[in-house]
Amino acid sequence: MIKVTINGKEIELEKAVTVLDAARSAGIKIPTLCYHEQLEKYGGCRLCLVEVEKMPRLQTACTLMVTDGMVVRTETETIANVRRSVLEFLLINHPLDCPYCDKAGECELQDLVEKYGARAGRFTEEKRKVPESLEDPVLVRNMERCVVCTRCVRMCEGVQGAAALGVISRGGHSHIEPFSGGKFECEYCGNCVSVCPVGAIMSRLHRHSYRPWQLVSETETICPYCGVGCTLVAQVRDDVIKRVVPRIGTPVNNGLLCSRGRFGYEFVGSKERLTSPLIRKKGVLEESTWEEAISLVAKRLGEIKAKHGSDAISGIASPRCTNEDNYVFQKFMRVTLGTNNIDSTARTGYAGAQAFIENIFGQGSTANLIPGLANSDAVLVAGGDPTAVNPILGLQIRACARRGGSILTIGHVKGLRHYSPVELRPALFRETLALEGIVSALKNKKGLPGSNQILEAKLKDINTTPQEAAGACGVTEKDYAAFVDRLSGAATPAIVIGKEIVQSSGGNYKLFLLAAINYLVNGRIYLLSERANEQGLLDMGCAPDLLPGYRPLAYAEFRKRYETAWKTAISERPGLSIFGMIDAAKQGSLKAMYVMGENPVYNLPNSRDVEAALQKVDFLVVQDIFLSETAKLADVVFPALSWSEKSGTFTNMERRIQRVRKAVSREGMEDWRIIAEIARNMASKFHYTGPEEVFAEICKVSPLYRDLTYEEIEKGQSIYPYKGEPLRSTLEGISVDKGTGAVAASRFYLRLERPLFHSGTLSRKAAALVNIYSGALARISAADAVSLGVKDGDVVRVSTKIGSLELPVAIDGAVEQSVVMLTNNFEGKGAFGLAEYAVDPVTGAPVIDCNAVMIEKVER
Amino acid sequence: MFSETAKKELEEIRLKYPNARAALLPALYLAQREFGWLSPEAYEAVSSLLGVPKAITRGVGTFYAMYKHKPMGRNIVQLCTNVSCMILGAERLVDFLKIKYGLEPGGTSPDGQFSLVIMECIGACGTAPAMLVNDDFYENLTEKYIEEILEKYK
Ligand code: SF4
Ligand code: SF4
Ligand code: SF4
Ligand code: FES
Ligand code: FES
Repeated sequence: MIKVTINGKEIELEKAVTVLDAARSAGIKIPTLCYHEQLEKYGGCRLCLVEVEKMPRLQTACTLMVTDGMVVRTETETIANVRRSVLEFLLINHPLDCPYCDKAGECELQDLVEKYGARAGRFTEEKRKVPESLEDPVLVRNMERCVVCTRCVRMCEGVQGAAALGVISRGGHSHIEPFSGGKFECEYCGNCVSVCPVGAIMSRLHRHSYRPWQLVSETETICPYCGVGCTLVAQVRDDVIKRVVPRIGTPVNNGLLCSRGRFGYEFVGSKERLTSPLIRKKGVLEESTWEEAISLVAKRLGEIKAKHGSDAISGIASPRCTNEDNYVFQKFMRVTLGTNNIDSTARTGYAGAQAFIENIFGQGSTANLIPGLANSDAVLVAGGDPTAVNPILGLQIRACARRGGSILTIGHVKGLRHYSPVELRPALFRETLALEGIVSALKNKKGLPGSNQILEAKLKDINTTPQEAAGACGVTEKDYAAFVDRLSGAATPAIVIGKEIVQSSGGNYKLFLLAAINYLVNGRIYLLSERANEQGLLDMGCAPDLLPGYRPLAYAEFRKRYETAWKTAISERPGLSIFGMIDAAKQGSLKAMYVMGENPVYNLPNSRDVEAALQKVDFLVVQDIFLSETAKLADVVFPALSWSEKSGTFTNMERRIQRVRKAVSREGMEDWRIIAEIARNMASKFHYTGPEEVFAEICKVSPLYRDLTYEEIEKGQSIYPYKGEPLRSTLEGISVDKGTGAVAASRFYLRLERPLFHSGTLSRKAAALVNIYSGALARISAADAVSLGVKDGDVVRVSTKIGSLELPVAIDGAVEQSVVMLTNNFEGKGAFGLAEYAVDPVTGAPVIDCNAVMIEKVER
Repeated sequence: MFSETAKKELEEIRLKYPNARAALLPALYLAQREFGWLSPEAYEAVSSLLGVPKAITRGVGTFYAMYKHKPMGRNIVQLCTNVSCMILGAERLVDFLKIKYGLEPGGTSPDGQFSLVIMECIGACGTAPAMLVNDDFYENLTEKYIEEILEKYK
């Protein structure tokens, strides 16, 4: 026990903390400016000075640790004088342009001066003049207001890990700059904006269009972008989201956001939003009433079902829609239309990879808590850059590195480069050897645990020598062994798997090898997820072989359960996968398709082929918030409400169910409601008054969610396996198909860039994200640029067998030789227009890494 | 770009310090020698060779007055005008440099040969006025002597 006396009050503490924390725990306020609970201590501003008996000078409470018997005073005349002077000093150069500053009202300097004085300064010198920097599209820097507390620098370096800001110059000239001095060219997380106590670094979004106190409503909801599921607070004035901020203490992101979450919300207010249902008449989409569109869809689907049978209809669900939307949608497909033809873009990797891993380790084995990564002693990353795909998860890996954990990366992981990763960079198409080598080495080092015979039987034949494996990665055997040693020596290792692995040739075998590594080191697996509710839609049964709650359709007892609940027979025929639907459409056996909140014509590989296939479908219905590439082909388009305009739940990659709440209003219907209306028009009993009722039904029919309620979710009691029963199945076998490994020789291969600043086709309508990353590029290595004779910005024609694009070159140190990286985000310039695919026989994911590419310079 | 020898030197410097950041000051001196001044390219080169984020490297460099943040002439003349030197005519020498070579304090001669930096006491008060040309030290300066000295550096 440590006893301290602060302002005459005795405080007992379990362990040594700072004087500031001790005081706060006793309800004693000490003013601070440079201190921030998320950041490393600094002790620079001197506002928290306190008197400590037996210590000669005033001490900074934010850095001084308490000792037993310490006597502290926080409010004396001396201290008041000092605080006043400190503030007076800060105001020497401060412009005091509060009437014009967006921070006024929530500015810590303003509050401190109001409380502690220095109302008038005694300095008569001119103030330092620095023009406001508007060179950056998203962040505005006003260095006259900066108090050099370095919070932004400590945030950017110590928490975000981008280290994009520095204190430039010294003394009275000190100020904060990104390297370029103008544009930030950083990760644009905006976390520096969150911690800046004054108006020195601010967001340009909705600049000068609100005052903090005019943000009349605040809605805590979940980010619409990726599977991390960060909590964000949408602050609203006049029914417009004016800004999005994080909140300290939320489970996944605890006060942090990434660029998409913070700056990507503007699509909500886009002028391009659909406003009315559209019906194709004489080849042209024309506005119609809701009644007309709904009854037309009901009529046509009914006719097609009667004429061609249920299985001539298919549905594509949405990883951007809520659980409620997806549940109602699959129920509509199964109950009203009578088919299991329902799938989603989760099929492009996440669904198959998860099924594969969970077959081996049990249901829920990929449901691991994201913040736990920071406490691992080793993190193995394969198949992508977590700091771009799932940025907040990426930060946890960086935190792990800072705490001394080993970061082990396979392939070039740009966002972890400054975290001294131990790297293996296998040559193209030689990842398998690298992974086999790890498995062999671990087998020899650690032996087989003996708990999973089926898996171990498959490990017998894996005997890749260290020479071969090291050779495949171009490293010495010693370096290779060092990599394996870090992994085998770890007590709490985690394995983070991205889509690049799943979508590569032999993907299922590589997944198997990663699973084997996980088994041998007794680790836990994280699967990166690109969409906010990718997990939820699978849980809801939006898969051709799964009923809600992950109950396999193949088992009669599960079907029966849902048949009883839904009072209808459920077809026992497994449905078509999303790729099966495209094939069926091409062959003409698929007559109708219903797409909810997805853009398959752009988001599936070989997108031109997908477009041609969907054109052949007799009746295409699309629900979306924009007239997407897919919606343009539709016979009927319904305008949906966006994520911020409706309520419901998302389930993140940890399988945490979280509440999505309505922040702004808009006329129209939620996705589930549109579908329920159509179902009612087709004589199905879909009577829900709101999302609560839908959720109540989910919790009634699905054993996984038994008795769960919104209230419990709001209290945070929504971690897998909830209160329900996860499915306990026994491992019957592991099917692996190594493939031939044969790849046609080519000078270049196509690879997908998954950028931090974009997500599918949604981020295109978020102006800030477009301003940060505004157009498609062809990224190549410096060596290839030399051999092609091109410089940054030169235009090249990138062609494959199925198409070509003209794009400016970007030379990128993170791109491997013989690879050209393209994004699949920009209109008319998507990589998927050039990418043919084959379906992985085990995971069902598209294999897209074998596309041979030609690059030629376009002379202008 | 760093020359190969400079890269080697940098590696040696790096090994003398417990971590990369601690090696920044000598590394930046080296870069200054190689690039003439601490240009953005110089900072980037140091950052990438040492593996220190470039915003941090630049923050460190801008803290110190002895790093040059604009292009400099081939030779750097550092002339003292502090008390002793001033009494013994340093200011006349400043004027002389201006008239004879077009060299303003803080500036560079039109032919790019010399840059002039005014110093505050270089510890040669007993033999004032004094100056440094690059790393060479000269004392008891007169106009004629300066002319002779600078001739050697052309
Ligand atoms: S936006 Fe993020 S990455 Fe950029 S400077 Fe601020 S904290 Fe650093
Ligand atoms: S910009 Fe803001 S956070 Fe950064 S040092 Fe200045 S006042 Fe502090
Ligand atoms: S990490 Fe994912 S969920 Fe979190 S703010 Fe970024 S995009 Fe949104
Ligand atoms: S808050 Fe303690 S010195 Fe700034
Ligand atoms: S005053 Fe010039 S050297 Fe001391």
